Amino acid sequence: MQKKNRVLIVDDEADFSETLAKMFKRRDIDAVTADCCRMALEKLKDGEFDVVIMDVSMPPGLDGIQCLAQVKELWPTTEVIILTGHASVSSGIQGMQGGAFDYCLKPIDFGELLEKIELACEKVRITRGR
Amino acid sequence: MTSLLDRICSLFRGKPRLSPAELQAAFRSYYKEFRALLTANNNALELMAEMEEALTVGHPFGMAFVRGNCTALSVNIYKMTHHLTRMAEGKYAELEQPFLRISRELEQIIASRPVNTEGAAILSMAEVDVSKVDQVGEKMANLGEVRNRVGLRTPDGFVITATAARSFIKVNDLQVEINRRLKGLELDNLEALYTVSAGIQGLIASAPLPAELQETILAHYQQLATDTEPEPLVALRSSALGEDSSNVSFAGQYRTQLNVGREIDQVYKEIVAGKYKSQAIVYRQQRGFRHQDVHMCVGCLRMVDAAVSGVLYSRAPDDPRSTFVIIQAAPGLASNVVDGSAATEQFLVSRAMPHVILDQQAAAEKEGGESLQTLTAAQAAELAVIGVRLEEHFGAPQDIEWSIDQAGLCYILQSRPLGRAASDTVSFEEPSAPLEPGQTAEELPAPLLSDGVCASRGVACGPVFTVRSSLDLLRFPKGAVLLVETPYPDWASLLDRASAVISETGQIAAHLATVAREFGVPAIFGMKQALATLENDSVITVDATAGKVYSGRVEPLLALASARPNLMAGSPVYKILLEAMKHIAPLHLTDPTSPYFRPESCRTLHDITRFCHEKAMVEMFTFGERYGFDDKAAKQLVVDVPSQWWVIDLDNGFCPDFDPDSRYVQLDHIASLPMLAIWQGMMAFSWAGPPPVSLRGFGSIIFQSTRNTNIDPAVRSALSAKNYFLVSKNFCNLSVRLGYHFAMVEAYLSDLLTESYVSFNFKGGAADDRRKVARIQLLAEILEQFSFRVERKGDSLTARIEKRPVEFLVERLKILGYLTVHARQIDMVMDNHHLIRQYKEKFSTEIKTMLETPEGVMP
Repeated sequence: MQKKNRVLIVDDEADFSETLAKMFKRRDIDAVTADCCRMALEKLKDGEFDVVIMDVSMPPGLDGIQCLAQVKELWPTTEVIILTGHASVSSGIQGMQGGAFDYCLKPIDFGELLEKIELACEKVRITRGR
Repeated sequence: MTSLLDRICSLFRGKPRLSPAELQAAFRSYYKEFRALLTANNNALELMAEMEEALTVGHPFGMAFVRGNCTALSVNIYKMTHHLTRMAEGKYAELEQPFLRISRELEQIIASRPVNTEGAAILSMAEVDVSKVDQVGEKMANLGEVRNRVGLRTPDGFVITATAARSFIKVNDLQVEINRRLKGLELDNLEALYTVSAGIQGLIASAPLPAELQETILAHYQQLATDTEPEPLVALRSSALGEDSSNVSFAGQYRTQLNVGREIDQVYKEIVAGKYKSQAIVYRQQRGFRHQDVHMCVGCLRMVDAAVSGVLYSRAPDDPRSTFVIIQAAPGLASNVVDGSAATEQFLVSRAMPHVILDQQAAAEKEGGESLQTLTAAQAAELAVIGVRLEEHFGAPQDIEWSIDQAGLCYILQSRPLGRAASDTVSFEEPSAPLEPGQTAEELPAPLLSDGVCASRGVACGPVFTVRSSLDLLRFPKGAVLLVETPYPDWASLLDRASAVISETGQIAAHLATVAREFGVPAIFGMKQALATLENDSVITVDATAGKVYSGRVEPLLALASARPNLMAGSPVYKILLEAMKHIAPLHLTDPTSPYFRPESCRTLHDITRFCHEKAMVEMFTFGERYGFDDKAAKQLVVDVPSQWWVIDLDNGFCPDFDPDSRYVQLDHIASLPMLAIWQGMMAFSWAGPPPVSLRGFGSIIFQSTRNTNIDPAVRSALSAKNYFLVSKNFCNLSVRLGYHFAMVEAYLSDLLTESYVSFNFKGGAADDRRKVARIQLLAEILEQFSFRVERKGDSLTARIEKRPVEFLVERLKILGYLTVHARQIDMVMDNHHLIRQYKEKFSTEIKTMLETPEGVMP
C-alpha cells in the first residue's frame, strides 16, 4: 500500500494553517502545522515529510527563504512549496533559486494547491526511489 | 573522404549510447521538462494578458494586483529558463543575466511606491475617484468617479477609510482576540461558525472608537446638517478593500445600513464588524487571506428623500449589444428594488436619442386596479442618458442604483460592472457618432464569418492580405488585414502595419495576441474557414470585439472603434503598472532565424518567454538526434517491404501484449499513433522507382560522383543502413536514409494543443546543388500548401507545424510519410521543368487521394 503523503504547513496564521490541515486530512493527506520556522525545523527532525508548505514572511527569527535554505540543506529530498500573501519579485526568485518546488500566491484555489502537492510528492517518490 | 550518410551514421556513433531503459528514462525526463516549460509559458502569457487588460479596460486595481502579477510572472519565467537549461544541458545558462536584470528593474519599479492604504481617516466624496481605490475600496471609488469625473449627482457624504478601520482595530488590540476565537474553528460546523462569527461581530461593535476618530466622524456628519435638517439621515455602505477584486459579487454581500442618524459612530462599528460575517470568514480562511489584510471602508452618504428609486442596466444583461437600457423602478427607496421587496415597473428605453420608451411593463397594480406610473417619459430618458454615459465612462455595461427625490433630482447611489464575466470577453465601446435614431444592431449586414474569439478588442477595416510564408512578410501592405492560419510569433513584425489580425486557429494567450493588444490592433483568433472565405484584396470590416467579420466597410461598426476610456490612467498605481509593462510586454525577438535571436538580446520578460519557447521546441525536435542506443533496444519491424525498419520503444509505444524479449515487432503491436500515421503515408502508394534519368542526367551523376562526397563507394553500405523509429504512445521520431537523402520526421500528438507538434527535416541528395535546391523548393511548395511553416537553407529544409488538433497532425504525418518515400532520387530530374511540374501534380493528387481515402482502403 502506498504511504500517505505527509505535509508540513508553516504559517504564522495559525487559523489558516489549521484550516488547511483539516482540508488536507479529508483528502487523506497527513498534515502537521508549525507557526514559525524554528518549530518547523523541530518537526522536520521528528519525522520525515514529503512536502513543506511555507509562507515567506514569518517574524520573528528566520524568514521563509532562510528556512527554505535550511530545509533543502538538511532534507534535500523534501520539496518546499512557498505559499505567501506577501509576494515580491525578489522573494519569488530567491525562493525558486533556493530550490523551492513552487512559489504560489494567496489566495490559492484549494484544488490547485492539491495538484501542486501531488506533483511535488511524485517528485519526492522518484527521488527517494519508492 | 567520408560520405554524408556515413557522417549521419557517425552522428549516432559519437553520441552517448544508451540501453533501452536509459533511453526510455532520457525521453521521459526530457518530455517532463518540456511539458513543465510549456505550462509555465502559458501561465506567463496569461498573466501578461491580464495585466494588459488592466491597463486598457480600466477596472480599478490596486498595488496588490501589480505586485502579485509581477511576482507570479517572474516565477513562471524563472521556471521556463530553468527547464530550458535542463533540457539543453546548460546551453542557455546565460539567460539568467537578462532575467535577473529585468526582475531587478521590476522590483525597483514596484518598490518605488508602496501600497497607498495609508492616508486620511476620512475623505470627503469630493476627494474620491478610482485612484483612491486603495483607501476607499472599489464600491466607493466608483461612486466618487461618478460624482467627480462624470459629473453626475450623488448623495453628499464622506468615506471612512481603511486607515480608520485599521486604527480602530489596532487601538483596541482586537486582532489578537479575533484570531484567537477563529483558531481551531471548524468551517463546516455551521453552529460553531455562526456562534464565533456573532461573537466577533459583537466584540467589534462593543469596542470603543478611538476618540479622535469618533470626533472626526461626527464632525463630518455634522457638516451634512442643514437648517431644515439638523440631524440628517445617512446610509452607511460597506466598501471592502484587500480581497480578490474579481470576486465582486462577494464583496457586495457586506452590510449596508440605511436611515442612520447621530448614532453613526455605533453603526460604523457594526458595518466594520460585518467583515466577520460567517461566509466572509469561510471565504478568506479557505483562500489564505489574512483577516487583518482586508479592510472595511465605509461610505456615509446622505439619504435621498426618494420619490422613486430603482436599478438601471445600461444593456440587457443577456445581450451586450442590445440597443436599449433596462430600468426597474418602484416608489420609495432603491433598496426596495434591490432586495426584491417592492413591486417594480420595468421600462426598456432606447439608448439612442431621443431615448423613447420601447416597452413598459407594470409588474403590479395599486389597490383598486389603478396602474403604477413610477417614471415619466422624460425621467426614463434621463436615466437612459445616465446609463449610456456611465457605460461610456467605465468602458463596460453598468448595473446602477438610482433614486429620484421629491424635487425630481436624480441621484446615483452605486455603479458597478454589469456581469463582469461577460464584460471581460466583450467590450462595449459607445459610438463616437451615435447610431441613427431607430437604427438597431439588427440592421448590420449579415457577417461573412462569426464565432471567432476576441484576442484583442476593437473594430477595423482594410483589404485582406494572407500571409503564409516569410516571403509574404515583405509584401504586406500597410493598413491591410493580416490573415493567417496560425498566429505564429513571427508575424508580430507586421503589427505596426496591419489594421487587424484574423487567424484560423490560436488562443488569446498566444504571443501574437499579446503583441496585438500591445499595439491596439483588433484581432480575432479561432476564426474557422477564414482562409477559405476571405479573398485577398477584398475589403472587410473586422469587429474583433464581437468576433465577427463583415464584407466591405461597415460604418456603424467603425464608429464603435473610438478609443476606450481609461479611468485608472494617471493614478499612481496605473503609472507603476505602465512602467512595469515596459519591462514585460514588448516583444523584440520575433525572428528565430535572426542572429539577434539569442539570450543577451532579451530586453523584456516576453522576449525571454519567446526565446525559451522557441529553443525548447528545437531541443524537443532534436531529441532523436541526441542519443545513440544499443542494438538490443531496437526491434525489427516485420513488414513486406524491401527496406529494413527498426523500432525502439521509449514509453508505451508497443501494445501491452508485445513480448519484450522478441527481436521483431509486428505492425499490429505498434501503439504509437504518430508512427502509424507516418507509416500509412509511406505505404499509401508504392514507389514508382527511380525517375527516368536522361543520358545527360546520368552522365552528370557519374560526373558528380567523382567529386560529390555523398556518392562515393561508402554509400552502398550506408544505403543498407537501418532506419529507426523511436516511439512512445504519442511520440515518434523517424530517422531515414533512403537513397541519397536524409529525412527526419518527429511528432508529439496530444490533446493539449500547446504541446503538439510535427517537424520534418530533409537534406541531401545525389545530384548537384542546383537540382537538390530545386527539389527542396518543390517540397517546400507542397508543404506550405498543407500549412507547414517551411525554412530552407541550401539543400536542406525544415518544416514545422504546432498547436493543432491531433486529427490535423495525423494527416500531416501521413503527408510527410508519403513525401519521405516518394521524393527520393527525384533530385536527379530537377532540371527538367516539365518533370518538376509533373511531380508536383502527382504529389498533390496522390496526397489528396490519400487524405480522402478512409483508413484501411489504401493499397
